[in-house]
Amino acid sequence: MPRKLSFSKALNEALHQSMEQDENVFIIGEDVAKMGGDFGITQGIWQKWPNRAYDTPLSEQAIIGLCSSAAALGLRPVAEIMFADFLGVCFDQIVNNAAKMNFMYNGEASAAITVRASTGGGIRCAYHHSQCVEPWLMNVPGLVVVAPSTPYEAKGLLNAAIRDNNPVIFLEHKGLYNVKGEVPKEYYELPLYQAEVKRKGTDVTVVATMMMTGLALKAAEVLEKEGISVEVIDPRTLFPLDKQTIIDSVGNTGRLVVVQEGPQFMGFGAELGAMAASEVLFEYLKAPVKRITSEDVPTAYAPCMEDFILPNLDKVLQGIRSTMAY
Amino acid sequence: MLEAETLKKMYYDMVFVRRFEDKVDEYSKKGFIPGFVHLGTGQEAVQVGAVYALKPTDYKYPDHRCHGAISLFGTDKKAVMAEIFGKATGINGGRGGSMHVADLKVRNMGNNGIQGSNVVSALGPAFYAKYKNEPDVTAVFMGDGTLGEGACHESLNLAATWKLPVVYILANNEYAIATHYSEAYNIKQLATWADGYNVPHEVVDGNDVVAVYEAVQRAAEHARSGKGPMLLELMTYRWQGHFAGDPAAYRPQEEVDEWINNRCPIKKLRDQLAGQGMTDAEFDQVQADVNAEVDALVEYAMSSPDPKPEDAMLHVYAGRKVEVHDA
Repeated sequence: MPRKLSFSKALNEALHQSMEQDENVFIIGEDVAKMGGDFGITQGIWQKWPNRAYDTPLSEQAIIGLCSSAAALGLRPVAEIMFADFLGVCFDQIVNNAAKMNFMYNGEASAAITVRASTGGGIRCAYHHSQCVEPWLMNVPGLVVVAPSTPYEAKGLLNAAIRDNNPVIFLEHKGLYNVKGEVPKEYYELPLYQAEVKRKGTDVTVVATMMMTGLALKAAEVLEKEGISVEVIDPRTLFPLDKQTIIDSVGNTGRLVVVQEGPQFMGFGAELGAMAASEVLFEYLKAPVKRITSEDVPTAYAPCMEDFILPNLDKVLQGIRSTMAY
Repeated sequence: MLEAETLKKMYYDMVFVRRFEDKVDEYSKKGFIPGFVHLGTGQEAVQVGAVYALKPTDYKYPDHRCHGAISLFGTDKKAVMAEIFGKATGINGGRGGSMHVADLKVRNMGNNGIQGSNVVSALGPAFYAKYKNEPDVTAVFMGDGTLGEGACHESLNLAATWKLPVVYILANNEYAIATHYSEAYNIKQLATWADGYNVPHEVVDGNDVVAVYEAVQRAAEHARSGKGPMLLELMTYRWQGHFAGDPAAYRPQEEVDEWINNRCPIKKLRDQLAGQGMTDAEFDQVQADVNAEVDALVEYAMSSPDPKPEDAMLHVYAGRKVEVHDA
């Protein structure tokens, strides 16, 4: 009987095993030590390694500044920024320092940090605790943006992120924390920079991330009954992107639908749309690229408003159907 | 007490910094140095005094007006000058330039184009030393303008609370570009800012190299002994505008004249050395030796090749290539 674990427990297990493997790994952030993290992801670490778990003041700049330079000297910090929205508070450190460090040091040292941040909407907490911020980060060469969608990936990708020598922003969707799935007990890593074909299909390629991957897979099931064969790809590492897997898929299906939780304008889907319109894919396209996204507004508090803004299964189904009907 | 020989070396290095900056100014205005450069002319005592007080194994975060200190950390001076000229032989291969000169071999962690940024970066090596139980301190150079950025608060608070070995070297040269510090802060003496964090501080004549040396040494030993950070405010003045070519019309000429004519840090040390018997001929020899040394640096930088343009694609990621876009 394979073991099932929640997404959050899988992350916790990855942290414990990475701490065991390498004494240069430490955790740092707001309430990550004694309390075990606002979402419980770092539970039990301080109890085992009191000298390698650090509660900080509310000082996101200090957290990332400290981590980046300590990493350049050989430590492997895992920082928690409680909500991805708070990356705005330490944006300078991430964009202007961590991302440039390998460049500045001629490849002799880099900000080998992992910055874990909870992201995404649906928790009814409005616009400072709900944003999908990945486009903020994907215009910055030097950064790596990782976003798992299953417990299995959560553990394997987090371990890989900690071992990677680049600054990795590791986005954990809050709506996934309680999702359960099979997770091997032993330490393992999954490759960064590789997209995963979650479901094979021949008519349309749907690229989706985090919570949206689940939506896309549900939509694919529904549409199978209508005779539409949907291929679902989760990039897992959003930046730098495994373009080839997406190009190969769209080359076969001739149709591209992107499902992303964040706003549409200049989002992830915009870049994929540009890719589909580029020389390699242009002549293969049978329909315009479709983007299913949030509305281009801040996340609102009232549940009915937030639900209106966010993508949902109906919107995904409609988007894929209209692409097929073109 | 500093020995006469050390004082003479300091004098040489201060004259070196002055000449280095004069040449950078000259070649910037001639168009051989890309972008803008920030000169430390007039702040030689801050840079030389601090470098002499720190150990080579201490971590350094210079600020963007620190060509002099950067040249004295132990990096091949030719490679520093070549970096400022944006040449392939520069210490960072021409990727960084005047505002981004780093050399991990001598623990120069790099200067920064964003003032408050390095003030939190300095927490990293200080934390590292504590984590690994090593005796090194981290010195971060900052200016009066830097203090306006919120990062300073986060840095000093964390360093103080965790007793991290950081020495904050605040060179108060009175102006952040065109704004005088009295117009930017509601405290008269910036060092008193550290009171809010229960961090000891000293105000020092930043144009007295011996006073700077002794103060940085005290602060470094304080940090090294596990007592946490210390902040020094070194009162000084930049002779030039904010960048080479800035006419600095925002400052009263009498003020500039007063600092140049009566408070020159090099002249101060020269007078001291003259009192100890150093002769005019010896001073002339120092100047001649410095001129020859700096001229050779400029010659090296001028004759060095430009970087290969496509090398800009290197070192964006550790262990990953970035490809050039298709035309």
